[in-house]
Amino acid sequence: MMMNGLEHWAINAYADGELDPVERANVERMLANDPEARKVLEGIERQKAALNRAYGGTLDEPLPHSLANTVRGGGTRHLGPYAAMAASIAMLLLGGLTGWYVAHETGSTLIADTGRRAINAHEVYAVEVKHPVEVQASDSEHLKKWLGKRIGTDIIIPDLASAGYTFIGGRLLAAEDRPAGQLMYEDATKQRLTIFLAANPGHGEETIRVSEKDKLVSCYWAEHDLAMAITGEMPTDAMMKLAENIYDQIEAAEKG
Amino acid sequence: MTEDFRHQLTTELPYLRRFARALCGDSALADDLVQDCVERALSRTHLYDPARPLRAWLFAILRNIFISGLRKNAKLQVVKTVDDLHDGEDAVRPDQETNLSLALITQALDQLPAQQREILVLISLEEMSYREAAEIVGVPIGTVMSRLSRARTHLQQMLEERGTPVLRRVK
Repeated sequence: MMMNGLEHWAINAYADGELDPVERANVERMLANDPEARKVLEGIERQKAALNRAYGGTLDEPLPHSLANTVRGGGTRHLGPYAAMAASIAMLLLGGLTGWYVAHETGSTLIADTGRRAINAHEVYAVEVKHPVEVQASDSEHLKKWLGKRIGTDIIIPDLASAGYTFIGGRLLAAEDRPAGQLMYEDATKQRLTIFLAANPGHGEETIRVSEKDKLVSCYWAEHDLAMAITGEMPTDAMMKLAENIYDQIEAAEKG
Repeated sequence: MTEDFRHQLTTELPYLRRFARALCGDSALADDLVQDCVERALSRTHLYDPARPLRAWLFAILRNIFISGLRKNAKLQVVKTVDDLHDGEDAVRPDQETNLSLALITQALDQLPAQQREILVLISLEEMSYREAAEIVGVPIGTVMSRLSRARTHLQQMLEERGTPVLRRVK
C-alpha cells in the first residue's frame, strides 16, 4: 500500500491509453521496477475482461421489437400483419425445402440448390424492417469470425460501395442440416441485396449461374469450400456484374 | 429527421443496451432506459452536433434519464441491491467458474457508489476517453480520474475479498 494517488492515476491512464509517449515511458519504467504497480495494472485489465464477459453478450442479442420500431419511425413503417404472415409462410416453405433438400442431397445438387435457398432466405429477411440482421455492420469483425466458425470456412464481407450498397449486417441461417450465413446490404433508397454463404462440401468449383423467382434474381457459384449467392431485385446483367465483383474480391482476399 | 440519422441510431442500439445494462444491472430496466433514451434523442435531433460522436451524445441522454430515475427511487434501489446480493451468492455453483466470476463482478458493481460505477462502466467497458466520460457525466476530467481510481481500487478489494471466501465455501 505504498502507492500514492498520483501513481495510481498514472497507471489508470496508462491502461486506458490516455498518455502521450513520454508519459507512457515513465509509467513503463515504474511498472518495470515496482511489482505493486504491475499488480494494479493486472487488476485493471482483469476487471476490464470481467466486465466484457459479463456484458459483452448484450451486443449480439436481437433488439426488442418496440425499440427497433421506435427508431424506424414509431410504427409507420413496421411490418404489417399481412407481410408478417407472408414472412412466416416463406419461413415454412424454407423449412419444407430443407427437408426436400436433405432427402436429395448429392454432391451435384448442392450447388444447384444454392440459388433457390438464397432467394428463399432473401424473401424472408430482406423485407424485415425490425430485425433485418442479427449482428450489425458495426460489429463486422465479430460477425465475420462467428459466421466463418459456424459455416466452417473463412469468409469475407465484400464491399459493394461501388454499386451504391452499404453493408448493414448479417445473420446465421439454418439451411438444411448445417449453418449458413446471410450478409445484407442496402442502398440509399433502402433497396436490399443479400449474400448467401454456405459450406460447399464437395469442394467443386462452379461458375456463376442465375436463378430467378418473380422479380428476384440470384447469381450463385461455388469456389473451394464455399458456395455463395448474391440476391436481390436487379436486372440479371447488373447482378452478374456484381457477382463477378464479389468473386474478384474473394480471389484478391485469398491471394492477399 | 434524416434516414441517415435513424440508420446511425440503429447501429448504436446494441451499445446503448450494453451501457444501460452495466449502468443499472437489470436487463428489463435497461431496455426501458434505452427506449426512453431513443425517444428523447429522436425528439431532440436538432440539438445533436454531427461533428461529435453520436454514441457519447446518446450515452449522456441515457445517463441523465437513469440518474433522474435513481433520485426518484433512491430508497427502493438500496433494498433491491441487498436482495440481489444474497440471491446471487446462494446461486453460485462450484462447477461454473465463468458464471461465478460473472456473478461476482455484477454483485461488486452493485456495491459501487453510482458516481463511481458510471465512470468505471464508461471507461472500462464502453472504452470512452476521459474527455468523453467527463462530458457525458458533466464533471471535470480530474474528477473523472479520481472517481475512476477509487472505483477500480474499490472493485479490486471487493473482488479479492469476496472471490476467495465464496470459492472456499463451495469446495
